[in-house]
Amino acid sequence: MPALRKNEGGQKSFRLVAALDRALGATSRHYHHNVFVLALLMFCAVAAVGFWGVRDLQKANSEVRNIYVVSVRGLQQVGELQYDAQETRRATLYALTTDDSNLQVGYADQSRDADRRVTRSIAEYTLHASLPAELVLSEKLNRDWASYLKVRDEVLASILEGGTKEAVSLDLSAGAPSFERVRLDLDEVKRMYDEGASQRLANVVATSRRSEANLIGILCFAFVISSSAIWAIQRSRMLSAIQLARLQMEFVASVSHELRTPLAALSLAADNIADGLVEGKTAVQKYGTAIQKEARQMSELVGQILLFASTEDRTKRYDLQPLQVSEIIDAVLSDSKNLLQGAGFMIALHMDAHLPLVIADRSAVAQCLQNLIGNALKYSGDSRWIGIEAFVAQSEMEVNREVRIAVSDRGIGIDGSELADIFEPFYRSSRVNALQIHGTGLGLSLARRTMEAMGGKISVVSELSIGSTFTIHLPTTEPNGLERARATPQPHSSTRA
Amino acid sequence: MARSAGLLITLSVVVLLLVALPREAAISMQPPKLEQNTHTEPLAIIVNRSNAVNDLTMVELRKLFLGGRSHWPNGRRVTLVMRAPGEPEYKTILRDVCQMDETGLRNHILHSLFTGEMLVSPKTLDTPAGVRKFVFNVPGAVGYLRLSEVDDTVKIVALDELLPEDGKYKLRVEVAHAN
Repeated sequence: MPALRKNEGGQKSFRLVAALDRALGATSRHYHHNVFVLALLMFCAVAAVGFWGVRDLQKANSEVRNIYVVSVRGLQQVGELQYDAQETRRATLYALTTDDSNLQVGYADQSRDADRRVTRSIAEYTLHASLPAELVLSEKLNRDWASYLKVRDEVLASILEGGTKEAVSLDLSAGAPSFERVRLDLDEVKRMYDEGASQRLANVVATSRRSEANLIGILCFAFVISSSAIWAIQRSRMLSAIQLARLQMEFVASVSHELRTPLAALSLAADNIADGLVEGKTAVQKYGTAIQKEARQMSELVGQILLFASTEDRTKRYDLQPLQVSEIIDAVLSDSKNLLQGAGFMIALHMDAHLPLVIADRSAVAQCLQNLIGNALKYSGDSRWIGIEAFVAQSEMEVNREVRIAVSDRGIGIDGSELADIFEPFYRSSRVNALQIHGTGLGLSLARRTMEAMGGKISVVSELSIGSTFTIHLPTTEPNGLERARATPQPHSSTRA
Repeated sequence: MARSAGLLITLSVVVLLLVALPREAAISMQPPKLEQNTHTEPLAIIVNRSNAVNDLTMVELRKLFLGGRSHWPNGRRVTLVMRAPGEPEYKTILRDVCQMDETGLRNHILHSLFTGEMLVSPKTLDTPAGVRKFVFNVPGAVGYLRLSEVDDTVKIVALDELLPEDGKYKLRVEVAHAN
């Protein structure tokens, strides 16, 4: 018998499936979200650490170049300084080798040129000296060089005057020691320079070692992050595959269960007729009516299942276009006119005068509306009143306006505890079953899926024994659609007439 | 008539004289050697910049060049710097300072060296730059250069309180006419 088609266990399993479906859907979305965040995080981290590493490398590189240039130039300068210092004394002493004053003057010139170069180099060294030790050394060098030059001038004068003996003895007693001091100073300059260079080299080695470690760190980090990203993607794919398989299995199980019950009734009736157990015109008529009823129910069920299967495929596309809500309502009402009038229903229709256009699929909206009107018809109980209202309202989530179509009844109502479940596929209230109101439990589920796929939604307000109001929310074409619709009167009044 | 013509002639002569005389005077104030057909240039006596002596008399200069003075007031030994014999500068010194001929000077120097009156034999340098550099290098050196060849590496001493730029400066060297 129809009322017994659903047992409590079956219902529970459907609810479970539906809940799982939702949960898995959420999980899967959550996973995608995670993967995206992970990839972004990885990109940022790798970019930051990479930037750091590259900067380090560049620094080390330029430091090495700098060290090379400074080394070459510095060594050259120190070498030139040493050579010129020696040249200063050498040229002075060369003047001893001749008596010719002209040649002696020439050597004196050479010595003075060399000493000018030395003085210039020492000044440059002093200018660039930054460490305290360097400053002290440059000062000492300046002092020693100046004192040597004083002796040199005397030696030169003696040579030019022709006092060779005096010149030689002066050079030995004063010139040589003071020149030795200069030589030691220059050696110290070179040593300090070498020390500085090796210090800089050590710095570079440390920097490049650090950037090496950084790069290895980056690579490890990128490897770990990309591995976990791949793992996460794979896991989310696997979970969606499992979920899909489970849903398909559950769907097949529930569908076969739904089909088996009317089939059993049909085959029982057919058996009875075939076995000749049914006698008399009334009995045959009774059986025929039962078979007819069961067959209709089955065909309705199959139709709904097919529809449900098509919405299950979430890739299904809707033909979204601007629509006149009033036209759709008129069309649906004229379709169900006979049914409603036959059952003696009174339709209270109220539509706002200037409804804006909505973005939706015409047949899908019509089907949802049909579904809601059908439900109102079924669950009205003794009441014979259905209210249909269309109006504009502010959307809850967005600033846009939306058009709402509310279908109300004054029927049996829905228990508050069941409100959350009525949109789940195959769900049917036990009270409805007890009242022997037949149905597949797919209608509202279908309506919700359809509405959500089109960017709208469906909501319900209900009170037990007072009535229910199901409302379809449809997005308008544009934010100022209301104003535009007011500016140009809609032609729906004429089509209604 | 004749008187007025004579007056006119006298007047014109006076005017002519008035115009011409200042010129004559200017010309007559130039040094007398310019009236001859040779060009002269002052010959500066130079010493090392460290030398405190700024002024010499012709007598002192003669003494220096003839070896009569072996040390400067600061104790530095005097070193004479000469140009080669035959150079105009050498001739001027020979004529105006030493007042003897080349052989006489040579003999005098040999004599002075021998007697120890002169400590160092005079140095002979071939070029003005050589002279300049020698005087620059040797604190006790004294030499001579044309004024145009002197730079600030050496010091010019005044002669009888006259600097070479002065018109009455006595030492002058003849310059080849091509200059």
